[in-house]
Amino acid sequence: MEYMQFLIVIIFSPLVQGVIKKLKANMQGRVGAGVFQPYYDLIRLFKKDMVISGATSWIFKATPYIVFTSTIAAAMIVPVITTGSNLSMMGDVIALIYIFALGRFFMALAGLDAGTAFGGEGSSREMTVAILVEPMMMLSIFTAAISAGSTNITKIAEAQGIFYSPSHILALSAFIIAVIAETGRIPVDNPDTHLELTMIHEGMLLEYSGRYLALMEWAHYIKQVLLFTIAVDIFFPFGISNNMELSGLAISFSTYLLKMFFMAGMMALIESTRAKMRFFQLPSLLGGAFILALLSLLIYIMMGK
Amino acid sequence: MKNWIQVFSIIDFISVGILLTAIAMNALRRLESCVRAYMFNSWLLSFLIAIVAFMIGEAHLYMASIVTFLSKGIVIPLFLRKIVKQMKVTHDVEPYISNALSLTISGILVAVVYVSLREGIFVTGFSRNVLQISTAVILIGLFIMISRRKAITQVIGLLFMENGLFLAGFSLTFGMPIIIELGVLFDMLMGVIILGIFAIQIKRAFTSSDLDKLTILKG
Repeated sequence: MEYMQFLIVIIFSPLVQGVIKKLKANMQGRVGAGVFQPYYDLIRLFKKDMVISGATSWIFKATPYIVFTSTIAAAMIVPVITTGSNLSMMGDVIALIYIFALGRFFMALAGLDAGTAFGGEGSSREMTVAILVEPMMMLSIFTAAISAGSTNITKIAEAQGIFYSPSHILALSAFIIAVIAETGRIPVDNPDTHLELTMIHEGMLLEYSGRYLALMEWAHYIKQVLLFTIAVDIFFPFGISNNMELSGLAISFSTYLLKMFFMAGMMALIESTRAKMRFFQLPSLLGGAFILALLSLLIYIMMGK
Repeated sequence: MKNWIQVFSIIDFISVGILLTAIAMNALRRLESCVRAYMFNSWLLSFLIAIVAFMIGEAHLYMASIVTFLSKGIVIPLFLRKIVKQMKVTHDVEPYISNALSLTISGILVAVVYVSLREGIFVTGFSRNVLQISTAVILIGLFIMISRRKAITQVIGLLFMENGLFLAGFSLTFGMPIIIELGVLFDMLMGVIILGIFAIQIKRAFTSSDLDKLTILKG
């Protein structure tokens, strides 16, 4: 029972995507689709037949399962509503980042596999962004990990206090930029278009259809919520329960939903107010965020808090 | 109230803000935003002095804070902005190296400062960290001076260096009343005079000719 908290992430992840889309539409003066639209999309996709190119190899067919299962494996490590019991003995933050990297590696391979120009374009762009994002994410998590004395996310979430130091604020802002880049949101990638000049994530999924596409999309939603959850766990974990008492879990669950709503609102705000950057300007943004993460670590080492 | 300053580590936040505005200079592309970064830097500096004055209860530090705010926070930025407007040329910064590289170099500079001043023998006044941050600001100001092409960004780099020097002196000896204030005033005067000379030269070079002619003149 207590190991089942990762199911929350899996079940609620399309809802978070729907909320982000709804909020974004409202901010732009549109009505927008309902918040449950991603569920309908997934159900419809699961029912549809698949069209698979004859030029593809087994990698194309294995990738949706590898991406989906690796994302779920990552979800098992992260404490969602309680730090009392989870499967965190499986691994820590470093393992988590490399589980994400496994999924990304196979996604890039599958993008190349069909041999279309857009797939290769998406793969090469995704890898370029990943090179810049991974060290930044590591450094910003390490700032919190040093103060907790452990790279285990559960320990980090338990060790955080209410009062913040400058290094945590810097690490948080770097981590938010890393989350935006990882989830393919607007200053980095536009999730709503299939315009060939701009797409990164959609380019790799272009050859998929039906059930496989549903798995890939769902894995993307899960990864998004998971990154929000990690940000919440590491930087403002107050309200998270440390045992399995029912009342504590209820409070923890409601604060978790509030925090997710807050993160969704922030993402929608960023998406509505920013314009997409040109791809070759991205190293400037991500390099700046890397310097923020580096500074947070240096300031932590210097100030000792 | 004094407890709140300790609990929320306000001095740390302000000094990190001073460092961040200096580092942000490396990423900014427009001259107006560079002037604004300098303005925020000066505001934070005067706010830090006011906080320390409140903590140790020295009246003359309030004076230093107000003088800093008026001169560096209001007069010099307004003057710089006026000069930027008068230069009827592009408002881009035009550094010699890319933004990402100069950000990286300034990050390395901060790391070097932290490593070299980690085991300092300095007896600092209110916070050990402020001296390191002020040294980093001095180095970043120097780096901005040598890596930018426009005269006005070099002046801003010089002003950042001056802010860093002021902060370093303040963190080491915050009992120096009259000299600090006179130093601030004198620095402001020097800055304004230098800027006036620069502005005249920039106007003479730029308004009559475009950038292509300028490169020809440089040979």
